[in-house]
Amino acid sequence: MVNLPATPADILPFIIALVTSHTFITIVLFPGFIHLMLVVMFLTWYERKVLARIQLRIGPLYAGGPGGILQPIADGVKLIFKEVMIPYKANKPLFIWIPLALVFFAAVPFAVIPFGQHWVIANLDVGLVFVFALTSLFPSMILIFAWASNSKYPFLGGLRSLFQQVAYEIPMWISALSVVLLAGSLSLVDIVNAQQKIWFMVPAFLSFVVFFIAIMAELERLPFDLPEAEPELVAGWYTESSGAIFMVLFLALYMKLYLMSSLVTVLFLGGWWGPAFLPQPVWFILKTLIVATFIIIPRGVYARIRVDMLIKLGWTRLLILALANVFLTVLLLNTGVLSMWGL
Amino acid sequence: MVALTSYIIVSAALLGIGIYGLSVKRNAIRILFAIEIIVNAANLNFAAFTRYMSPPQVSGQVIVFYSIAAAAMEAAVGLALILVAFRLNGSIDVRKLNKLKG
Amino acid sequence: MDIAIPPDIAFILLATVTLLAAIMALQAKELIYGAISLAISFIGIAGFFVFLDAPYLAMLQIAVYVGAVVVLILFTIMLVRREVVRETEEHEEGGEGSIGLWIAGLLAVSIAGVAALAGPNLPTTAPPANLPVSELGPVLAIDYPVPLVILALLLSAALLGALVLAKLEKGQ
Repeated sequence: MVNLPATPADILPFIIALVTSHTFITIVLFPGFIHLMLVVMFLTWYERKVLARIQLRIGPLYAGGPGGILQPIADGVKLIFKEVMIPYKANKPLFIWIPLALVFFAAVPFAVIPFGQHWVIANLDVGLVFVFALTSLFPSMILIFAWASNSKYPFLGGLRSLFQQVAYEIPMWISALSVVLLAGSLSLVDIVNAQQKIWFMVPAFLSFVVFFIAIMAELERLPFDLPEAEPELVAGWYTESSGAIFMVLFLALYMKLYLMSSLVTVLFLGGWWGPAFLPQPVWFILKTLIVATFIIIPRGVYARIRVDMLIKLGWTRLLILALANVFLTVLLLNTGVLSMWGL
Repeated sequence: MVALTSYIIVSAALLGIGIYGLSVKRNAIRILFAIEIIVNAANLNFAAFTRYMSPPQVSGQVIVFYSIAAAAMEAAVGLALILVAFRLNGSIDVRKLNKLKG
Repeated sequence: MDIAIPPDIAFILLATVTLLAAIMALQAKELIYGAISLAISFIGIAGFFVFLDAPYLAMLQIAVYVGAVVVLILFTIMLVRREVVRETEEHEEGGEGSIGLWIAGLLAVSIAGVAALAGPNLPTTAPPANLPVSELGPVLAIDYPVPLVILALLLSAALLGALVLAKLEKGQ
């Protein structure tokens, strides 16, 4: 226990004890703030490179370092120096604070995601519900931001984004229900521990597929790109953001991408389990990057889905598949088929 | 640790705020805000009492679970009613919505 | 956490934020500011649930209230025209304002007074609790199965009701 300093002579030992405590290191360094920023910046560069290779070009190359790896820093500097234009009669306080709130709510769920057996900031008993509760806050914040822009294109984009994200939350939750049934606990550390012998992708394959599709709709990635449809809506709900506000939103979007990829890894791909020649967090980040690659690739490959097909897919077909998998999981558990893997 | 009395005081204060909103406001949506605040005050009360019993029970949490679900349903239907009333009368001022004829 | 923070300060802060947000939800000029303050108040109540060893309820509160009810409220606010909202917000209180304030204030003070007077007889520290989340499921399903089924029927009824109301409004 690190106690608050009682006398002024205690301040230096308090600071030293604070900086070396496990809580501080996990919050600031490893699965915390600095690692998050570095990986998110890396993901922006990574996405542009992957998309470029799919489209038979090279991507960012000149920003410095091998292969243009300092490109995100160049982007950040450019965006900071751009003028922040706030539309006429737009709601200034909301316009400025909502992107910060989006980054906050995209970063906080990382507090419960385990990067290794002891590399988790907070092992909540209800970790999975914590992540889902916080991701269910995004649609309302996007709608408020779109309304605060006082302009038609963002408003339509915000409404479309709201419909899409709310519709695909339910298949996401129900396919995670299969995983909770298999693991017997809502805590993310317990879920990863239960995958020691077999990854949940194998008994719950249908859930894996449904979860993956639902995540791509939550992240507004192509082919679920409607809120950002370029020929129709300019840039969707973030049309009016420019400069530093856009940089903050960009950060929030890529943090959400990293969050959802790591959620797929934790729930279905066995978290940090892997052969012992690499440390556990490295396995976790490797699997997460592979999942992120598979989320980025359809952006260069597929066309955009139509809105009625989008709604029908989310509310009917995915929901039925997820429920079918829950039923299947209950069947598998009760007949003892999975007992050889300790489930 | 905090005494049970503090939770009851917070819950009573929320109830007071909710009743003020329910009785004074003219906008139907603000009245819905007030109703949700009152339901939250009751939920807080239940959760506090069930924690401070000896031994602490989990049945209070079950009550709060049902209360949250029921209040969400009631908010959904209430908002649909407000929309229909707005389409028919052109106003969401509850003083103008007091005639039974459509 | 391995850093010690006295719990009383956290409780007072949380109570202040929740009550202020609830007051702002009713008094804010714009309805959307009111909806945001209501969301903050709900998150404050979720914080209270965490203090009361009910983490699952706290997450449920955030997911259902802030994630769904506030979204519905925002939707409704945007579907009701702005001019209409503006004209009901002027001349809000008159005589009714102060009477409502008096009644609500007296009610709240009387309940709080009873609680404070009964204070010595109420527990001052929470008894050691063992309320794991895994205990909530069996109690729901085994001890109270009938309310669970009734809740499911009620949800279906509310869904159908909202659909019918929406259809009615389009038909007329």
